[in-house]
Amino acid sequence: MPIHKLLVANRGEIAARIVRTARARGLAVAVLRHRNELTGSAHLIADEVVEVEGPTPVAAYLDIDQIVAAARRVCADAVHPGYGFLAENAAFVRALDAAGIMFVGPTEDVIDLMGDKVRARAFVAERGFPVAPAAIEDDDPTNFVERARVVGFPLLIKPSAGGGGKGMRVVREDASLEAEIETARREGKRYFGDGRLFAERYIERPRHIEVQVVGDGRGNVVHCWERECSIQRRFQKIIEETPSPALNPEQRAEICKTAAGIARAVNYRGAGTVEFIYAPDGAFYFLEMNTRLQVEHPVTEMVTGIDLVAEQLRIAAGGGLSHAQAEIRQTGHAIELRICAEDASADFRPAIGEVLLMEEPQGPGVRVDSGILEGSKVTTDFDPMLAKLIVHGPDRAAAIARARAAVQDYVILGVTTNTGYLDAILAHPRFLAGDVSTGFLAEEAPVLTAPGDDVTDILLAAAALSDVRLVRAVDEIPEMHRLMGAWRN
Amino acid sequence: MRRLLEIRGEEFPIWLAHTGKGYVVHARGRAVHCSLTRSHGKGAFLLELDGRSIPLRLTVSKTATFIHLYGRAYEIGRTDPADQQVEGGTGTGQDKILAPMPGVVVSVAAGPGDRVGKGQTILVIESMKLETTLSAPRDGVVAEVPFAPGEGFGLKDVLARLAPEEE
Repeated sequence: MPIHKLLVANRGEIAARIVRTARARGLAVAVLRHRNELTGSAHLIADEVVEVEGPTPVAAYLDIDQIVAAARRVCADAVHPGYGFLAENAAFVRALDAAGIMFVGPTEDVIDLMGDKVRARAFVAERGFPVAPAAIEDDDPTNFVERARVVGFPLLIKPSAGGGGKGMRVVREDASLEAEIETARREGKRYFGDGRLFAERYIERPRHIEVQVVGDGRGNVVHCWERECSIQRRFQKIIEETPSPALNPEQRAEICKTAAGIARAVNYRGAGTVEFIYAPDGAFYFLEMNTRLQVEHPVTEMVTGIDLVAEQLRIAAGGGLSHAQAEIRQTGHAIELRICAEDASADFRPAIGEVLLMEEPQGPGVRVDSGILEGSKVTTDFDPMLAKLIVHGPDRAAAIARARAAVQDYVILGVTTNTGYLDAILAHPRFLAGDVSTGFLAEEAPVLTAPGDDVTDILLAAAALSDVRLVRAVDEIPEMHRLMGAWRN
Repeated sequence: MRRLLEIRGEEFPIWLAHTGKGYVVHARGRAVHCSLTRSHGKGAFLLELDGRSIPLRLTVSKTATFIHLYGRAYEIGRTDPADQQVEGGTGTGQDKILAPMPGVVVSVAAGPGDRVGKGQTILVIESMKLETTLSAPRDGVVAEVPFAPGEGFGLKDVLARLAPEEE
């Protein structure tokens, strides 16, 4: 069934990115807006803007009834959820279905399955795909300690009901196992009111590698290769690249084939991502599957030439996959930098302010997916990510050089951003060598946040001479006093 | 004419003068001849300093100057020492609760006119997904709580103010 009009149920850079592809495919596009939000990039290029209400903008974007009503009001026949907000919410899919509106994404049962981490893990393991060796207390509480011991050390003990790293204990030797289990149980009870545990092999110095998959919901699945996402702060990615510098061609083929197999096992429809933990010895384990478009999808687009949003829209409309697996190749190297309003030298504290001056980098192989405009106010209402800078080059070294030049050219004045920090990461010898793990940013923090060359004299002079009140006051002093003023100092 | 500038938490008192031929900035114990001219392009300037021509992007707000230089962005805080004296007063540091980081007000426990004891909760804020309780720095009467629940605020914004102490 063809789509004529699309509602984008998201905001910021991803809303603008989806609008561009939808319009290029000849669709009419509506976007949402809350009254506390200023005009963003998406509002300038959409055909229609629908107001949504709520005590906060975030509440409005999470309000299923209101968004379904908005889709009805603008006569949209499909809704694209972007990422975050309602992108992985099965109730939203059911509500759209009841209203006779298409959801651009997978079926609700796949969203439910993959949204439950323990069920997803069991599903994947049962079908013979690799998961980290683990012991789940609930399976048989009477012999949990013995089963945990069999998994082997180092072990990571987690509360079953947990999240966000709370109550997690790393156990390196058998002697402390029982004591650590009791500590983890106490913490689990305190934080989550639930003392049940889960023990998993702890992977030292892991990488985060994920694979883009696309399925038509009729049994056909292809992968669009991997993305390396090990550069993380506070468990959130800030630089992603493809191909991964960690994989040789055989390892790459194996991890991508595994991801496609997992997607095929759920008869996946649309674009999705299978995430893995990759150990230094080359072993890899299923972590989770994200049943939506990822923030970092553009690096895949840059090396494969495939517009993933176009694929999503085509599949939703019943058009099937546009490429056979053999036609999907990785050409060159792509890197994405997430431009965030935060102070990297103050523990990534979110920054707020007004974008007073902005100029985006340009040039061959440079793409900017941005949600902000000059004059935009950056508040704590939303995620601190303002834009993504994506570059493509013939090889990794060329892509890094291009990324450095582009991020240095990205002018955002008025609100603190992480552009200088991103540049420092790109310049780090370990990044250049591809020698990273998810702990890289924490390990190298002193180097990465060190102040650069001393340009204080330049800054002071420029700040003084651009201070209109100061310059006017100096100009008003008669000649004689001017000279005296200089001497007096 | 003086200004107090601040870069990355470090303060720099500066003095700007005119020699009749051009401007001189006195800072960090040196006097430097310099000039700033606008060039083509958004916020683009050319700074002449010590015989060098340095291109930079620059914009100003009420309290800060933002400069993009050699591929990096800098924020330079700007205060007029004359203004600072008026703001100062006595013991006001004890009267204000400043935002330790940007965030949103979750709830307000005490409003203007309420008498509070030292350590008593005045408001709860949320920053970086963590809730923080802010309490009275001393016994006193609440004079002002400028932000309502749900409202966002910036770093160092005044979140609550106590009435000045009566001696």
